Amino acid sequence: MLGLTLQILVDSLLLGGVYTLMAVGLSLAFGVTRIINFAHGDIVMYGAYAAFFAFVGLNVDPLLSLLLVAALGGIGGYLLFKLTLDRIIESAGINQVLLTFGIGLVLQNVAVILWTGDERSTTPSYAFDSWFLTDDVIVAKGRLIAFILAAVFVVLLLAWLRWSELGRATRAVSQNRAAASLMGINVRAMYALSFGLSSALGTATGAIMSFLLPITPFMGFPILVKAFAIIILGGLDSVIGTVIGAFFLATAETTIGYLVPQGIGWAEGVAFFLLVLVLIARPTGILGTVGREA
Amino acid sequence: MIWKRTGAILAVGLVAAFVLPHFLPPGLSDWVTRLATLILIAVSWNMMANAGLISLGHSGFWGLGAYSAALLANAFHIPFWLSIVPAILLGGIFGAFLAYITGRLRGLFFAISTLATSEALRVVALMVPKLTSGAEGVFVYDQLRPDRITMTTFSLCLTAVAVAVSYLLLRSRYQYALRAMRDSESAAQMLGVNPARFRIGVTTLSGAMAACAGVISVWYTGYLDPGSAFDLKVTISAQIAPLFGGLYTIVGPVIGSIAVMALSELTRLYFNYSGGVGLLVYGGVLVFGVLAMPRGLVGLWERWTKRASKEPSLAAGAK
Repeated sequence: MLGLTLQILVDSLLLGGVYTLMAVGLSLAFGVTRIINFAHGDIVMYGAYAAFFAFVGLNVDPLLSLLLVAALGGIGGYLLFKLTLDRIIESAGINQVLLTFGIGLVLQNVAVILWTGDERSTTPSYAFDSWFLTDDVIVAKGRLIAFILAAVFVVLLLAWLRWSELGRATRAVSQNRAAASLMGINVRAMYALSFGLSSALGTATGAIMSFLLPITPFMGFPILVKAFAIIILGGLDSVIGTVIGAFFLATAETTIGYLVPQGIGWAEGVAFFLLVLVLIARPTGILGTVGREA
Repeated sequence: MIWKRTGAILAVGLVAAFVLPHFLPPGLSDWVTRLATLILIAVSWNMMANAGLISLGHSGFWGLGAYSAALLANAFHIPFWLSIVPAILLGGIFGAFLAYITGRLRGLFFAISTLATSEALRVVALMVPKLTSGAEGVFVYDQLRPDRITMTTFSLCLTAVAVAVSYLLLRSRYQYALRAMRDSESAAQMLGVNPARFRIGVTTLSGAMAACAGVISVWYTGYLDPGSAFDLKVTISAQIAPLFGGLYTIVGPVIGSIAVMALSELTRLYFNYSGGVGLLVYGGVLVFGVLAMPRGLVGLWERWTKRASKEPSLAAGAK
């Protein structure tokens, strides 16, 4: 029994790391631009494909190619924002939903046409390795790496937001657009920057997912809805809230997966049930400050 | 006046529904059935959008309608036309429920919660195989399935009713309340409109309509599984047609559906069902539509006719 409890704890913790990765980029972009990016899952998917081709074609480990992938993702996200979202930033929310939704569809189906629906994955040695913590508690090495990277990303992001000039400007825009603008901050530029950063985080996440999940053009959507659930659980504009939401969801899913009969199947739905429940019971999330009027 | 026009729309639609299918070649008749289904769901989506409710969960209504029809038809051998009754009830009740529980949510948050409920329904359908046969899916009892002509008539009838209802709603005095809600629910409330009432009313109607579309599709294909019943593609086509035709208008969803269907036939002709191209085109239409023609084909038409009527006077003024 102790073994099982420990295993659930370990699995929840590691899955929480994976989920933090999925959601943190989405949360950053929303916090600043107030746009929910429905294409975020597909951006993650492109990161995974980039890491896959680097691994297969050039024999580069996903953890190494991650930096380049993130840089490319950042530039791509920045351009994407400048070309599309920047032009409708002031218009009604419905246009932003439909636009990012459409961008997601385009990205996904370009991937279908280019690379078909076949499942792929990168296979570095650590992807299949695991340690035995005790006799019956297993730690999957791939997930542990994801967990550590998630922690690194979150710490870097928080430090950047807290101490750098641009980070402070980003937070100012997130708190109050008009006031930030009056302080001489170029609000539009901050939008594009945070969107680019969010995409960089998304593609980096993809590179990490490339050895954890099967890579297909359709992997983005489940990641997207999980990320939605997480940032709504945690509070949309708070990075720490996102982390808490991620671990909350991971714990709920893992526990149900282990303890409920047929739990693995039901665990898939936990995110949606929690999401609806939270939206009804505490619309600002655990740590968020945004009202639900957006 | 409104009632007369609604009656006229309904009459024309129903006559067309009963006469037209007899003169259509089989391929075209199938196409009309699919078109009618798309119009139905597009009108339903547009009605909610009109009140500022962005639905990303239309596949939820669709799936509920389809499952209720298929399961009841199999269990009690009810005829196809009767199966819309449980579907309408279930879709409507679920719509009311959804609108009630999300009462405090606006815009984006409403959209995400509809997406979540529809995905939750898919998981439930998958995990309760005793009721839905789970991932294996359900085959509709074959002898109950109507023939091709009846199928087309059936779908056109439902669509005619839906269009008439939406006309009635969007031309009645309630349209002002809905439009006010779209701009700001709190402001509408201040003006004495009770947003909760309208929100629940519109979502109930819209849910019932989308459930009907699900019923048509299940009788048309004869098979249903959780993946296809709660498919995101339904939601995508429900939003793309109104956007393409013209959001918040009455003819918009209808014209948009025809255009989208024509477009998807064309891509099918040129790319031969190769995976991805169809949805890629849909995505492209969404992006292009939002960026370049946010008021859709109706907006383009209005601009064009306005320019045409202005030009003579300009020319006269120049002299």
